[in-house]
Amino acid sequence: MRPYQVATAVAFALVAAVAMIDSRAGALVDRTGREPGGVGAGFYPFWSAALMFVCAAVVAYRAWKTPTPGTSAFEGREAVMAVAKLIVPMVIAAASILVLGFYLMTGLYMGLFARWIGRYRWIWVAALTIGMPAAIYATFELGFRVTLPKSLLYDAGLLPF
Amino acid sequence: MEFLNVFGDLAGGFATALQPFNILMLFVGVMLGLVVGVLPGLGGTSAVAILLPVTVIIARTSPTSAVILLAGVYWGALFGGVVTSILFNIPGEPWSVVLLFDGFPLAKRKGKPGVALASSFFASFVGAFFATVLFTFLSKALADFALSFGPPELFAVFVMSFATLIGLGAESPAKAVMMIGFGLLLAALGFDTITGQPRLTFGQVGLLAGIGFVPVTIGLFGIGEIIASAEESGIGFMERLSARVGFKDILETLGELRKRLGLVISTGIIGFFFGVLPGHGATAGSFLGYGLARSYSKNKEDFGKGEISGIMAPQAAADAAAVGSLVPMISLGVPGSPTSAVIMAGLFIWGLTPGPLLFVEHHDFVWGLIASIYVGHLMTFLICLAAVPLLASIMRIPYAILTPFIILISIIGSYSLNNSMLDVFITIVFGLIGYWLRKMKYPLAPLVVAIVLGDSTERTFRQSLIASGGSPAIFVGTPIAAILLTLAVALLLVPLIRSLRSRGRRAEPDFDVSTAID
Repeated sequence: MRPYQVATAVAFALVAAVAMIDSRAGALVDRTGREPGGVGAGFYPFWSAALMFVCAAVVAYRAWKTPTPGTSAFEGREAVMAVAKLIVPMVIAAASILVLGFYLMTGLYMGLFARWIGRYRWIWVAALTIGMPAAIYATFELGFRVTLPKSLLYDAGLLPF
Repeated sequence: MEFLNVFGDLAGGFATALQPFNILMLFVGVMLGLVVGVLPGLGGTSAVAILLPVTVIIARTSPTSAVILLAGVYWGALFGGVVTSILFNIPGEPWSVVLLFDGFPLAKRKGKPGVALASSFFASFVGAFFATVLFTFLSKALADFALSFGPPELFAVFVMSFATLIGLGAESPAKAVMMIGFGLLLAALGFDTITGQPRLTFGQVGLLAGIGFVPVTIGLFGIGEIIASAEESGIGFMERLSARVGFKDILETLGELRKRLGLVISTGIIGFFFGVLPGHGATAGSFLGYGLARSYSKNKEDFGKGEISGIMAPQAAADAAAVGSLVPMISLGVPGSPTSAVIMAGLFIWGLTPGPLLFVEHHDFVWGLIASIYVGHLMTFLICLAAVPLLASIMRIPYAILTPFIILISIIGSYSLNNSMLDVFITIVFGLIGYWLRKMKYPLAPLVVAIVLGDSTERTFRQSLIASGGSPAIFVGTPIAAILLTLAVALLLVPLIRSLRSRGRRAEPDFDVSTAID
């Protein structure tokens, strides 16, 4: 676990460093009277980032110095697989909305989970693939009047969603 | 005379809360809360965050109905988590973890699942009732007091709320400060509201408006929790009992409650005041209640073996703390827990400004909410007594359906607020960040509170300096600001003192209240 703790803290320190560099122009109190109250736009983000940077350095140092049992962040291969099986399709599904739209993505995503993870019979896979987008359409598009993203085929006039 | 005014206001609140549409919203909220409370993969905070975009539509006609819906989710989740802890030995919510110690043993070893469930429901109801009475009488007084606050006093209140998160109970104060810094940075992103200059946008036009609170919260809580749950359920072990709460169980529980009424009321009252402290909601309250019950019990050896006090005290304190966490949100504009932080974000989205002016400008809204807490707890209590088998059956919804469904709802929630795909990607990214932060034991409560309070903290800081012509002496220029900032400094010294005291003796593991997510 120790390398992961150190890496996480270092990553936060880097984010803080980038923010500090970006807002460095307003880091100091303005004595010329140009900034209202002597504080410019960069003052607050700079010192928030500085606080974050110092603490991240402390956390990284402590994690480095403190021995912790075990080196892996995960409890075995099954845990890694369980997380990967969830994250990878989720990221792909979110990205595919730009092409497939929300409803096509929903059908494919539900069907994939039902077949791949649930190992359901095809009839149930088909029911979920069609039923879930239909239920969401009825609830959000018709009920709450929330318009969800449509596919490129919709833009081309080939599909109603 | 002031008391009579409160009764009059409360009566008006009941007239609002008992309107058919508000009753319906409360019922929907409570049922949703019970469902997410039962499901280990989804928490009350996540459900409230996911529902925020839907409440925008409701708030167009009535913000009171919208807040009643969200509060109902909170109350439902408080009760729902109990069922899985007692029957399945799996905490549905972080605040139900403590029920594993005595709830499951009473249900399994002593064969009294009905009594275990009824004990927690009755204690929740009693604790919440007393907390709501305190809420009714104290929140207005606190708000009246806060009306005299100017920017320096408000800035001191915000600093103190951050100091509370760091000082009281954070296992790693450095990690808590880091999360606060990160939250403040995220809040600062986009246009500076005073000078109009872009900050931390790196030339990206999409970031000029800043990062929305809702997509970040849905990611951190909704997606982050579901990923963490996926990992744990692959490893976990589930033991199931079945139960219903019968009339005999209720009679037996009432007898036990009578013996422990003093304990339940006192832990409820202590839990309420603990909940009022920013950042400490139901989870921390539940552990506090358990600790108090055990410390003052004559039968310490019975704890962990199915002792009813070990169920009633934490439940009363947890519910009372949850009620208490809404007090600073309403009166001061400071969230008392992550869930109230999300509800507070809802208020901003609906065009309301949380804080003392709410009592003046949105009188019906505030008193409608307060009255709905009474009604909501009674409703949840009755539903729970009647519907335990139904709630337990929710646990049987297959993972392969539930998990993608929650992810889809999270995506809809983040997209629908601004019709923005950027918000969807922000949700996914923060879902991954939230999962990893949980894994690395970073507290999420300071992060969420900092994102919500970031803008207000900066605004009051700069307004104070503008008013004083740049002199920092303004921050200690009034007695209230000076006292609050001194308290904040004292709270920040707590971890240092604790660390010095623990040197030379074996460190005992503490419960980290700031990692509590409620």
